[in-house]
This record gives sequence, structure tokens and C-alpha cells, in this order.
Amino acid sequence: MRDVAVVGAGMIDFGELFEQSIDDMLERAYLNCLDDVDRGMDPDDIDGAWFGTIDIANNASSGLGLSHPTGLFETPVTRVENACATGSTAFRSAVEAVRAGSADVALVAGAEKMRDSAAGLIESAALEQVWRGRGVTMPAFFGLRATRHMEEFGTTREQIAEVSVKNHENGAKYPHAHYRFTCDVEDVVESPQVTYPLNLYDCCPVTDGAAATLVASADVVDEYTDDPVWVAGSGLSVDSFERGKDASLVGFPATEQAAAEAYEQAGIGADDVDVAEVHDCFTITELVTYEDLGFCEKGEGGAFIESGEPRLDGETPVNPSGGLLAKGHPIGATGVAQVNEIYEQLRGEAGAVQAQNDPTYGLQHNIGIGRNATGSVSCVNVLATDR
Amino acid sequence: MYEPPFTRDRAANERLAARACEACGWVSFPEAREVCKRCGTHGEWSDTQLAERGTVQSYVVQQRLPEGFETPLPLAIVDVPQQSGGEPARVYGLFTETDPDDLEVGLEAEAVFRRIFDVDGLPVHSFKFTLPRGESR
Repeated sequence: MRDVAVVGAGMIDFGELFEQSIDDMLERAYLNCLDDVDRGMDPDDIDGAWFGTIDIANNASSGLGLSHPTGLFETPVTRVENACATGSTAFRSAVEAVRAGSADVALVAGAEKMRDSAAGLIESAALEQVWRGRGVTMPAFFGLRATRHMEEFGTTREQIAEVSVKNHENGAKYPHAHYRFTCDVEDVVESPQVTYPLNLYDCCPVTDGAAATLVASADVVDEYTDDPVWVAGSGLSVDSFERGKDASLVGFPATEQAAAEAYEQAGIGADDVDVAEVHDCFTITELVTYEDLGFCEKGEGGAFIESGEPRLDGETPVNPSGGLLAKGHPIGATGVAQVNEIYEQLRGEAGAVQAQNDPTYGLQHNIGIGRNATGSVSCVNVLATDR
Repeated sequence: MYEPPFTRDRAANERLAARACEACGWVSFPEAREVCKRCGTHGEWSDTQLAERGTVQSYVVQQRLPEGFETPLPLAIVDVPQQSGGEPARVYGLFTETDPDDLEVGLEAEAVFRRIFDVDGLPVHSFKFTLPRGESR
């Protein structure tokens, strides 16, 4: 298996981008990514591309949705959809192809038009669609974990709110974030209730965006940069709350399983992670993810955020980009943008949100839901400064 | 428009009909699969009937929903035992005629038969949950 490195990263400013089509967003993210490669990238060098989108606005399905805005024709392009883990799964798929030797340089691009037509369970107009998930909307699915976590471990409403406070503080400093305001615990707890126990400031916004990443094999990496960021490990797993450990309702075993695989490949443990971009579609999601990734013991997520360890100036900064809560969650782009942020953190190029602990290992994580809201899918990628 | 998914699930929705894996005892509801989600066995299943009362494992109260849903709308994960004993089934359920403030993890919930919504004029029926109002009911 060949070693693989990230050699370029590009994205657009996330937000409500009514003036841009999905092609406009993808083209700009792609061009920004090409420009980011230290020694430049000839598009002819790209011998495979993976396009992540759940195609929520019904306008970009299949690989053609990437080849048209990028001009990458006569190139194998694969469209990837894996619920909210779409972007990270697209990245993992490109990495696997380069590891296997079927491509030397691969493009990963993710994009989502969320505001044109926020369909499905997110803003469903149809009772039938919601009922197929037996009445479970997104905030309900994650809120059920919050109620159970508070009941079982005594996690407080204020501890859950601290996640939002931290991520908005980071997002206010992050140039590509959709929301750039700060808030305090009182703001979160007193914001309008969406689905008890979650309020408006516990929820990520509905955001348009695109992001692109270039990966290359160790054989050719020197052609592009002297400062590559290596892919140390990758894991992908699915689970269901109808079985096994997931029945506990206090976290996502799919995340534990994906992380275990990624850590094993990287030869590290959770303690070695210096900076992380994790899936905070809701505040509670990030809180239980601390536990699922092994940053703290199960049940101690509330104490972990309260300790300040995941803050930008803490021991293990989590979501320096502001996370989904502030940066936004254009589903196909989300995981790709997270990878990009870890790439910049490990190169020391993260500007106002640079982790101050001289990070050598960075982790990226997504969790998605599906199967009538009974299943979850998680992808975890670990990047490293050293090969 | 004809809506087959709701027709396929009628036995589960209307009669709380479920199936139990003979290898590990796991209860499949409302799906009827050949492969057990827990033990992975591709084996035998027995028909089973769920009880009308189960225990709330977690809950939320939905305040923002599409048109057609009344809010606030409590929703819970309820573990519902089989009438014949054995393991409970894990079930999502909307609550009806329940004050959200009365909900707690661990409470007993009762399944009641309700018309859920119409698809082009054709009614779809299923269970909802409510908090029991005493044993005389």
C-alpha cells in the first residue's frame, strides 16, 4: 500500500449563496485548490476524481456534476453519497485509490446547494416524508441522545451549550465561516426551542458551499510540495440503534469503530491527536463525539468541554474553524472542508484559528444518519505532519 | 398517488405485528428482514405480537415541524415488550394527548391506534403513544 499525502486545499466562503450555482461554487473551490499547491498542479496530472454531494437540490448527480465545472473530461469521476459523511467518504475513497495505485494524483471535491431547495427531512413539506422516519426530524434524532445523556450521566444543559459558545468564538475568527458572531451560554439556553432539549443555537445553519482537496502518492509528492500532510489512517463504519452497543443511545458506536480503524492504521491513540475537526451538526453531537473518539471517557463529555481542553487555546483544540455550528454544513462539502482545515493546521497556516500546540496529528470526523433515522454512518480520517 | 410503503408496513403499523430471531431473540419491528441485524444469522424467525405498553428510553419535544403536524409534539424511543415475553422491540413513536412536561425517561407509555395522515385522500393508520391514564381505562 502506498503512502498518500494532501498537497492542496481550496474552498469558497460558506454562506447563503443564492447568486452562485453548484457549478459556480465547485469551479471556484477547484481553482482555489489548484492555486494552493506549492509548486502548482497541471490538471492533466489528475488521474481520478471523487465528487461528494447528496444532491439535495437535485441538480448535480453523477460524476458529470464535477467534470463539467472543472473541465476534467476523459478522467474517471465517481460521485459519492454517504449521508452527512459524504465529504469524508469521498476523501477516503480518493485516498484508497491512490494507496492502491490506481491513481497518482486524485481530486476530491464536495458541494451542496442547501438553500435553493432544502428538501427531505431537513425542511420537509410532506408529512409522508417525515413519517417514513416515524416522525423523526434531524434535531429530534440528535436531541434523543441529549435527553438520554443528561439522564444517564447528569450532563447539564449549560455544558451542552458550551460547545456552541466555543465554536462560535472560533467561527468569528475564521474567514470562510457562514456565521461570524459570538454568543454566551445564556444566549444558547434562551434561544428559541427547536426540539427540546435543543435550541436554535444548538443547531448548525443551512449553508451553501464547496471545497476541494488534492491528494498524491508518495512517489510523486515532491513534484508538488516540500511540505505535504500525510494521510495516516482512515476508518468508515455503520451501526444501528436497534442493535448492540448503539442501543445505549448515549453516543455513536459507528464513530468508535471508524476511529479505532483510523487510529490503528496511524499507529496512534486518541491521546496523540493534537487538533480535530468533528461533526457538530448539533451541540450534543460534538459532546458525545469527544467520548466516541476517546478524547475522554464515556459520560464525561460535559466535564471535558467545561475543562476548556477543546478550546482554541486548550490542550486539544476541537473545531478551530467554528465547526458546522458556525462555519456551516453544506453536506457534500463539509467533510472536505474539515480535511482542508486539518491540512492547514498541520502546515501551521491556519491564521487566526491556528492551534498553538504545534500539532503533528490532526483528525477529521463526520457522522450521518439514515435508514428511517435508525442507522448512523461515521468516517474518520487522521492526518500527520510526518510520513 | 398510490403509496406502497405504507401498504407494506400495515401489519406492523396497525397490529403491532413483529418477528423474533430464533437464533438470538432480537425483535425486528417494523421491518421484516431475513437477516438478523444483531447476530447476522440468516435463519428462522417466529411471528410475535408486541404488547400495548412499553418503557420510554429517551424523548424529545418537537416545536418546529412541517405543516400537518401539531406542535409541541413529543416523540420517544420506547422499548415495547412482546406479549409472550422475551426481549422488547425498540420503537419510535409520536405521542398524542400528552402534556410534554409530564414526559420522563423510564415512564410507561401506551400504544393507541390513530389515523396518522392521508395520502391523496386515503387514510394511513398507525400507533401513537400516550401516557396511561389509570388502569380502569
